[in-house]
Amino acid sequence: MVLVALAGMVVGYWANAAFFPGTSPQQPIDFSHKVHAGDNEIPCQYCHVQARRSVSAGVPSVNKCMGCHLEVATDRPQVRLLTNYWESGEPVPWIKVHDLPDFVHFTHKRHVAAGIECQTCHGAVESMDVVSREAPVKMGLCLACHRENEVEHGTDCWTCHK
Amino acid sequence: MSFLDRFIDGWRRYRRPGYYEKFDYAWTMSIDLDRCTGCQACVTACQAENNTPIVGEKELAKGREMQWIRIERYWEGEYPNAKLKFIPMLCQQCDAAPCETVCPVSATYHNQDGLNAQVYNRCIGTRSCAVYCPYEVRYFNYNNHHWDSPLEQQLNPDVTVREKGVMEKCTFCVQRIRQAKDHAKDDGRRRVKDGEVQPACVQTCPSEALAFGDRNDPGSKVSQKLSDPRAYHVLDELNTLPSVVYLKKVDADAG
Amino acid sequence: MSNVDRREFLKLVGAGGVGVGAGFMLAESAKHPLEHLIPYAVPPEEFSSGVATWYNSVCGMCPAGCGISVRTREGRAKKIEGNPSHPVSQGRLCALGQAGLQVLYNPDRLSSPLLLDGASGSFRPATWVEGVDKVAGALSSARNVVVLSRGIRGHLAQIFERFAGSLSSANLLQYDFAHEDALYVGNRESFGIDRLPYYDIANTRYLVSFGADYLNGWISPVHHSLGFGTSRQGGHDRGYFVQVEPRMSVSGASADRWVPANPGTEGLLALGIAQQIVAMGGYSGADRDAWTSTLAPYDIASVSQRTGVNDDIVRQIAEGFMHTRPGLAITGGAATRHVNGVNTAIAVNTLNYIAGNVGIEGGILFNPAAPLATTGEENRGAYESLANLVTHAENGSIDALLVYDTDPVFTMPADSGFREALEKIPFVASLSSFMDETTAMADVVLPSHTYLESWGDDVPEPGVGFSVGAVSQPVVAPLYNTQAVGDTLIAIAAHMGHSDAIPWASTEECIKDGWRQVHAQGGSGDFDAFWRSLLQAGVYGRNIRDTRAVSLDPTVVAGMDANEPTFSGNAATYPFTLHPYTSMRMHDGRGANLPWMLELPDAMTSVVYSSWVEINPVTAEELGVRQGDVVEISSEHGSVTAPVYVYPAIMPDVVAMPVGQGHSKLGRYAKNRGSNPLSIVAAQTDAKSGSLAWAATRVSVAPTGQRAKLVTMSGESRELGRNIVQTTGGAAGSAGHSAKLNSIPIKVEAV
Repeated sequence: MVLVALAGMVVGYWANAAFFPGTSPQQPIDFSHKVHAGDNEIPCQYCHVQARRSVSAGVPSVNKCMGCHLEVATDRPQVRLLTNYWESGEPVPWIKVHDLPDFVHFTHKRHVAAGIECQTCHGAVESMDVVSREAPVKMGLCLACHRENEVEHGTDCWTCHK
Repeated sequence: MSFLDRFIDGWRRYRRPGYYEKFDYAWTMSIDLDRCTGCQACVTACQAENNTPIVGEKELAKGREMQWIRIERYWEGEYPNAKLKFIPMLCQQCDAAPCETVCPVSATYHNQDGLNAQVYNRCIGTRSCAVYCPYEVRYFNYNNHHWDSPLEQQLNPDVTVREKGVMEKCTFCVQRIRQAKDHAKDDGRRRVKDGEVQPACVQTCPSEALAFGDRNDPGSKVSQKLSDPRAYHVLDELNTLPSVVYLKKVDADAG
Repeated sequence: MSNVDRREFLKLVGAGGVGVGAGFMLAESAKHPLEHLIPYAVPPEEFSSGVATWYNSVCGMCPAGCGISVRTREGRAKKIEGNPSHPVSQGRLCALGQAGLQVLYNPDRLSSPLLLDGASGSFRPATWVEGVDKVAGALSSARNVVVLSRGIRGHLAQIFERFAGSLSSANLLQYDFAHEDALYVGNRESFGIDRLPYYDIANTRYLVSFGADYLNGWISPVHHSLGFGTSRQGGHDRGYFVQVEPRMSVSGASADRWVPANPGTEGLLALGIAQQIVAMGGYSGADRDAWTSTLAPYDIASVSQRTGVNDDIVRQIAEGFMHTRPGLAITGGAATRHVNGVNTAIAVNTLNYIAGNVGIEGGILFNPAAPLATTGEENRGAYESLANLVTHAENGSIDALLVYDTDPVFTMPADSGFREALEKIPFVASLSSFMDETTAMADVVLPSHTYLESWGDDVPEPGVGFSVGAVSQPVVAPLYNTQAVGDTLIAIAAHMGHSDAIPWASTEECIKDGWRQVHAQGGSGDFDAFWRSLLQAGVYGRNIRDTRAVSLDPTVVAGMDANEPTFSGNAATYPFTLHPYTSMRMHDGRGANLPWMLELPDAMTSVVYSSWVEINPVTAEELGVRQGDVVEISSEHGSVTAPVYVYPAIMPDVVAMPVGQGHSKLGRYAKNRGSNPLSIVAAQTDAKSGSLAWAATRVSVAPTGQRAKLVTMSGESRELGRNIVQTTGGAAGSAGHSAKLNSIPIKVEAV
């Protein structure tokens, strides 16, 4: 019976993964990190400008995107989509890929200041056309890194949970 | 050293009085009962800062209040000599906390700052800690709480909104302590300065009855309060070594 | 189930297990729906996601005018704290002030203009164009218009004034239930000064409060609490506090001595103390003999007999007040809401004058003129002006009423006939943010922004002894389709073709223009830099003090009528005096729709949510009632019911009820909860000030036989030897930091 229940869990998990995509969702615009961060070598923090001074890295405002795209690649269909948002004054409703539970209080600022590469947690985003959650951002990853780098009180629960 | 030896060693260290002197910080709150007016600004400040829910009249009637700090009231004498004495009561962040020893999953533990921590995602809701707490300052989420929209827009993003089935209590506004440490790091300082961090209740206290700081720092405001002859611990006889120190109310006519 | 064999049973269980597993996972995933990351199209200049932005502003929850700092994240207000630079709040804030967030985010806020649909009798949402058109139309054809609002301070008052001036015949009327009219009149008669003085509690060593609950809601509670704390343990000798009142208030509980006195005799006691001081040689002015004869009727025996205060206590207080310098006497609250309210205020002024506490640090200090051109206090009307409004409305001589952010239908006694009068006014428009009892009777509602969304400025009243002004600025973008009240008035005037009457395009312009004048008088640098730094500081001060020497003529006291209070209702039928009292939590009833305030236990009784009636234990026994028994409290003008709270510190012939509950409107949290003692008080006034004598009604108390669950948050009300709240003898005062009010870190410019 336990086995059957476990099988149920597996089915449920599959259903979850199949019907509730979250790891690489369909974004409103097919934005490619590969083109921007990879091919054109734009630094991560050029767009995610908050990462070094805030808990959240932030996504660029439409304004920021248009800073380049008023001039660059204006004829591409996906850039047209962006221009439509800009012209109607609407924000782009991006979908979160890396979403931590609400009881985890991660701060980008501290990690950027410590010189941690973005890729450590986000994977090799510069090679992804569609971003997906590749690195296992689970507590084990956090703790392993905190232990390895001997972070001061890095294993105190209240460092992240509060 | 075997696991058991390490465990026993840790336990001994933990139980030794004065071990908090080895803490990084020993966060302490002093509450001057001669200044406290019972106005409860601290209560609302705490609710706003820590996302403690509105539980409703029915739940309150069952004694399921969630306010992390409360004012207790004690009447003394009869008319016309009746007196009412107020005392703010919150988690005493005991160094020998009875609640910590009883948690089967270590969801409550003592951290390096001398704080009694509660980890919501680890808590399984046995409520044992609340039973062991002599100050009755642990609150259990009997329900998932609801904020009538748009009241939820006020919620503090730095503090977890707790779910049904977990215990919660005063954290000395750990999110503010973390933020102060963060600022200290940004400034290249190793330590937080005295007065740089104040829990919401201390920050707002209109009569300045509450003070907060590090008792390991002999120059801190709170250390000075500790040396006041009026200082005492509530239920001191239980030897819980609280980090909240009360200063006795002065009875001016007692001479 | 009998024909299900074991194998089939297991299959069912298996299927059930799969279902449970799948269901669990689906439920888990449904808990975490897709989360979005929505950036701004164009971010505001100071915006940084994940970083809190603080704005300085002014609290709008009560008329004290505390400076506030509001923490915002991602454009939402998260927390309100006191502005550390503001001399009134000095970084601190009361519970009600912090609950301002629940005004902003209240689910029952009015979100768009409403028009009363004549046919259905209910409101329907409308556009601003429709609403303004309707109001402008009604006002153009009206002969007599009344603009009724809460006290409007600062430059916003100019918009109200100019708006009223643009109409052919309009009366401006500002009414706040808790406004201390008697103190203003008392100060005018005693000293010829129209503003409230600064009560220097921080530096006083002996405070006698005659009924003023200065720690819990009376005029400027945060500042008084700061002073209280400083006086108690902030200096070298600890201040001594005496509280005289029929029912122990929060300030009474915090006092060193609580003295119950017959309701309305507080002024008599003050004069009795003054008489003792003069008799003991504590007054050495040239008019000593005049004072001796003026105060002669207030000898200790007669005062003791009339006030019910033991003569030893009178003598002790007189000695303490005379010898412990500096001393301070204050009055207010229920004490000044008797028919002799102004006399009580004058009596307390006399006591301060005789004891030499006027114009000294630690006593009362007069406030200099504000840096702003207007304080807005000029149009203040007492209860009597509303009573006149009732008379005129009943004559049919008022055609239209514009009401903003004041709720007289709730705060006026039923006996006043205000509700009925309002029904007679052909056109009523409300500019309030909530559907309160008064707004519910309007024809058109043009909802205003809350104070956290609006521009404004303020002169704190009472001031702090030097010249201070403060600016309030929006801390969040407007949540709903509402408008700043000034902008609404500008729009109505423009629609009526009076656009030249109000020279500003918006409230913000008006405020800014006012500060341009302040800048011209003594600001440095260019105005834009001044304005920016002003908004950052939230407050502006000048080191100007009012050091005029005042004298109090004995004839003022000699000319007072008999000081004895009179009550509505005869003592035989109505054996108890009803003592309504206000609290910081509910104020005049505005806290009743804020969940935090409902869940905040009452300071003295720890009751939450409902209202109650406080009765002395001996009286309760005589009446045969226990805690939680519902009783009917009846006056000549009506009755209310409330559960009994047996209160150890109230006079046996007084029953007390908190003001604030008993709303029939004001949203889901407030309505149909508790009872409103103001509804049964007699509509009698203090003749000198015209304010409502709401503490001068006699009532009877009768058990109804029902019981109610009175939800209290305290457990055992006695310590039972646990020694939780420890006390120590009087000598053990300790040296702490001494915060003198002169050293406030505020931008003070020498003039």
